[in-house]
Amino acid sequence: MPMPLKAGARLKSAVSETQVMVVKAPPGEHDLRCGGVEMIAATAPPPAGVALDPAYAGETLIGKRYVNADESLELLCTKGGQGVLSFNGTLLEIKQAKQLPSSD
Amino acid sequence: MGTAAADEDGLSARAYAQGLLDELGVTPLRPLACTEEDPALAWARSGLMALTGRADGPPVLCPVAIPTCADGALAALASLAPDGALAGLRGAALLVERAAIAGYTRHGAIAPGGGCRLLPTRDGWLALNLARTDDWSLLPAWLETEVATDWESLAAAVRTRTLHDAIERGRLLGLAVAPVVPPWRRPQPWFQRMVPGGTGRKPRGRRPRVVDLSSLWAGPLATHLLQHCGAEVIKVESLTRPDGARGGPPAFFDLLNAGKHSVALDFGSARDRARLRTLLEHADIVIEASRPRALRQLGIDAEALVRERPHLSWISLTGYGRSEPAAQWIAYGDDAATAAGLVWLMQQTTGEPLFVGDAIADPLSGMHAALAAWAGWCAGGAGLLSIALVDVVRRVVRFAAPPSAAGWRERAQRWRGRIAGEPVRAPQARRPTAAARPLGADTAHVFDARGCTC
Repeated sequence: MPMPLKAGARLKSAVSETQVMVVKAPPGEHDLRCGGVEMIAATAPPPAGVALDPAYAGETLIGKRYVNADESLELLCTKGGQGVLSFNGTLLEIKQAKQLPSSD
Repeated sequence: MGTAAADEDGLSARAYAQGLLDELGVTPLRPLACTEEDPALAWARSGLMALTGRADGPPVLCPVAIPTCADGALAALASLAPDGALAGLRGAALLVERAAIAGYTRHGAIAPGGGCRLLPTRDGWLALNLARTDDWSLLPAWLETEVATDWESLAAAVRTRTLHDAIERGRLLGLAVAPVVPPWRRPQPWFQRMVPGGTGRKPRGRRPRVVDLSSLWAGPLATHLLQHCGAEVIKVESLTRPDGARGGPPAFFDLLNAGKHSVALDFGSARDRARLRTLLEHADIVIEASRPRALRQLGIDAEALVRERPHLSWISLTGYGRSEPAAQWIAYGDDAATAAGLVWLMQQTTGEPLFVGDAIADPLSGMHAALAAWAGWCAGGAGLLSIALVDVVRRVVRFAAPPSAAGWRERAQRWRGRIAGEPVRAPQARRPTAAARPLGADTAHVFDARGCTC
């Protein structure tokens, strides 16, 4: 079921250990999946009777930021796990790492 | 200055140096030679005090013997290094070189470098370091509200959060946040041996080969000091994300990196990842300052490499160590020092939260890392040593620490009295001896010399 996504929201995979935080998201309701199954609120109990779709196998990596093509959606993976991320039917890609600061 | 330690609290560079050597389990090759200076006067003369306090107020000191400990750390290194290798260098002087070159000045609750600020939450203060401009894009997620990209709007949003929540969410997002907390009472070692090492054989009569994967200040200072001790240093950078300090003042980058070979690799390519592995396999000492997962994601398993090569001394510099969950947290010099208790001590002794010096955890950690690495080389291999910036500062704070907040206040008052009328010296820096090599200037040469076709 599509849901609104808010910056700062924490979501988890229904089929693996994967967790993400929403860095930014376009307005409206969206279909966000991990491993081909809709993601759920980080505090929600894991649903029964769902399994990772082999078509969306692969790994989501902790610390990586994932974006859609126009970068209107950005997620940060806060816990790595099985299953790749998809948004409204399209796979998300890893965003280029941040440039290092010149001083700290 | 004199040779006798005169401080009534037992604060001498010699005592600090001896403590570090004992903790590392090494015996000096020659007697410790320390320049002893009253710890309060050392604050005024080192340039550290000029960097501490409000911009519109007088310079102030922190009642922690930071310059004395820095002198001690460098004296400990000198006692293991070839005779005269560190002649003319003092640890206290290394604390302020970046500020001297960059022209940084004190700004109270804003760190001299400008990227780190102390901000109040609903129930306590935190340090937030937004060193990368891209960090600003994480703030709406951190605070769960739209935030304008200026510090005033940000401070207003932070004030609505609890300290615990802000720290927890900030760490998850990879922001450099730290709570203003008192120093720990329980002793925490400044290094942890994650994998034992050591061949039992003393090093052969050659220069150690150092591979330096670090950037900015702490790691590059460590390998700069190892160069002084006679090491050959290969500085390895990512082609796409080179050391950010290349974009800072050239004199500071040159000061720390002159004389190092520069290798640039594309970590996205399998060939260059194999080259990185080759470099690490040929190293005697590795200094790196990335989160453990970063190297793992490049296929480099530090623990396994060290187990296979007991002569290797691998120094892992992190903000908070290699154990989960802290292994995921990032830190820079000002926020790590805050987590170790320095800002709390300023609150206790001056009544307001103030930063201490410029990214003080960085140069302190660089000196301690150089000592640990060189001691490892001398002993035939250190194994994998984890050195957390926060633990190095905790070690310095703990040195002859008063038992209570009242004790810290009493010491601060005593020290202020002792330096009344003394001139407060501005930060000074050495001049670089040469320009650092351009990015990747030695890549081809280094791999030719290794005789590998990778």
